[in-house]
Amino acid sequence: MGFEFKYIVDSIPALLEGAKLTWYITIIGILGGLALGTVAGLMRLAGTREVGGESYGSFRFLAIVSQKAAIGYIELIRGTPIIVQAMFIYFALPMLVEVTTGLKGIRFDSLTAAIITIIINAGAYMAEIVRGAVQSVNRGLVEAGIAMGISRLQLISSVIGPIAFKRAIPPLGNQFIISLKDTSLFIVIGVGELTRQGQEIMASNFRALEIWTAVAVCYLIMTSALAMVLKLIERRMKIV
Amino acid sequence: MSALIEFKDVGKSFGEVEVLHNIDLSIDPGEVVVLVGPSGSGKSTLLRCINGLEMISSGELIVDGIHLPLEKHRIREVRQEVGMVFQLFYLFPHMSALDNVAFGPRKVRRMSREEARGVARDLLQKVGLADRSHHYPSELSGGQQQRVAIARALAINPKIMLFDEPTSALDPELREEVLNVMIAVAQQGITMVVVTHEMSFASKAGSRLLFMDNGRISEDGDPQTLLRNPSSERLQNFLQHVGY
Repeated sequence: MGFEFKYIVDSIPALLEGAKLTWYITIIGILGGLALGTVAGLMRLAGTREVGGESYGSFRFLAIVSQKAAIGYIELIRGTPIIVQAMFIYFALPMLVEVTTGLKGIRFDSLTAAIITIIINAGAYMAEIVRGAVQSVNRGLVEAGIAMGISRLQLISSVIGPIAFKRAIPPLGNQFIISLKDTSLFIVIGVGELTRQGQEIMASNFRALEIWTAVAVCYLIMTSALAMVLKLIERRMKIV
Repeated sequence: MSALIEFKDVGKSFGEVEVLHNIDLSIDPGEVVVLVGPSGSGKSTLLRCINGLEMISSGELIVDGIHLPLEKHRIREVRQEVGMVFQLFYLFPHMSALDNVAFGPRKVRRMSREEARGVARDLLQKVGLADRSHHYPSELSGGQQQRVAIARALAINPKIMLFDEPTSALDPELREEVLNVMIAVAQQGITMVVVTHEMSFASKAGSRLLFMDNGRISEDGDPQTLLRNPSSERLQNFLQHVGY
């Protein structure tokens, strides 16, 4: 029983179906995560020098609340395994809804639960990446912007943002790849992504060597593609 | 003529450390005030209070009619009338020289892209860098970067220009080009407050010299007179120190 290529060839259509789903979850997940992470990362820094100095009056209160909320979210997600988060969103949340509101049968389908899990999970890690990148922007540059009397929003979008973004690309790329691979865990909530497809084929023909090799190669191709896109973006950015 | 900048018994502390004590100072429109003193004497802090990069701890500071700290929510209005030039230039690294200078007119004065670039082109010409407008900061020498930074600060057409040791980070041969630009700005009649160790600038372009020592203004007078016969021993020592 050697390595037989025909099992791989036979498995290709099913694996491609799985890969498509993996790709779909990943792309929506990391885009959503990036949006959530940017918001949470900036909330984490609300009212600090890094984003334009202390705020006054009711804005000060708002800034402190934002900071605490962001810290709570980041710690909660980083402190629990993603597989538990997926289980919670898919299985526990409907029960929580039922207990608290009495509404029965309100639940996400497994694909939606998977996407939400990636968004929330990646968002927490990206929030820390965004915070680090923003904090790494030279204080003097931020002051140069502040001194011109531009608004906080203009300061973030025109000065801090572009500089921080370029610095955030390498760690963001890391997180993108981690999130892509994390989709394999959604096998536990029954999403027919790549790993689950592999598992199912393997269960029918017992060709573990061929099938898991093929699955691994599929992941490698996808992560390489992701890395390449990031490299292109980084190269296209203006000198910073 | 009413004062453009007025310090009334201003104090500033960073935590326990008091860096400015009972500052009373009134600066009229058109004055070119040169602020000198040993390091740690509070010159930069005093300068940074004017545009609210530091908020004063006690007393009152009135800049262009806005009272600080009472109206600190209006600090942006102050900043929009005050240009600032930093020791380390701090040009925005992701923008060309032209876009650095056009930034203020676009964002603060709400000009169109083309209009703002027109203003920027004129100013770059004035500081002698018309041919460098498409270069990025990393492609310019220190002196050139500082001249762009001066143009950037002037671009919003401010009432007041603040300079925080603008030549301290430059090689001696590059200082001249920056000082010449500053002298030209002073001759336009714009109100300037300049922290510097360049006594030549004080005597050539300054209308008033302030000597700061230990968080207080200890001398205040005509630059020529003060530099020729420094009255206090502290000032004499200081001038010797900076090699004047």
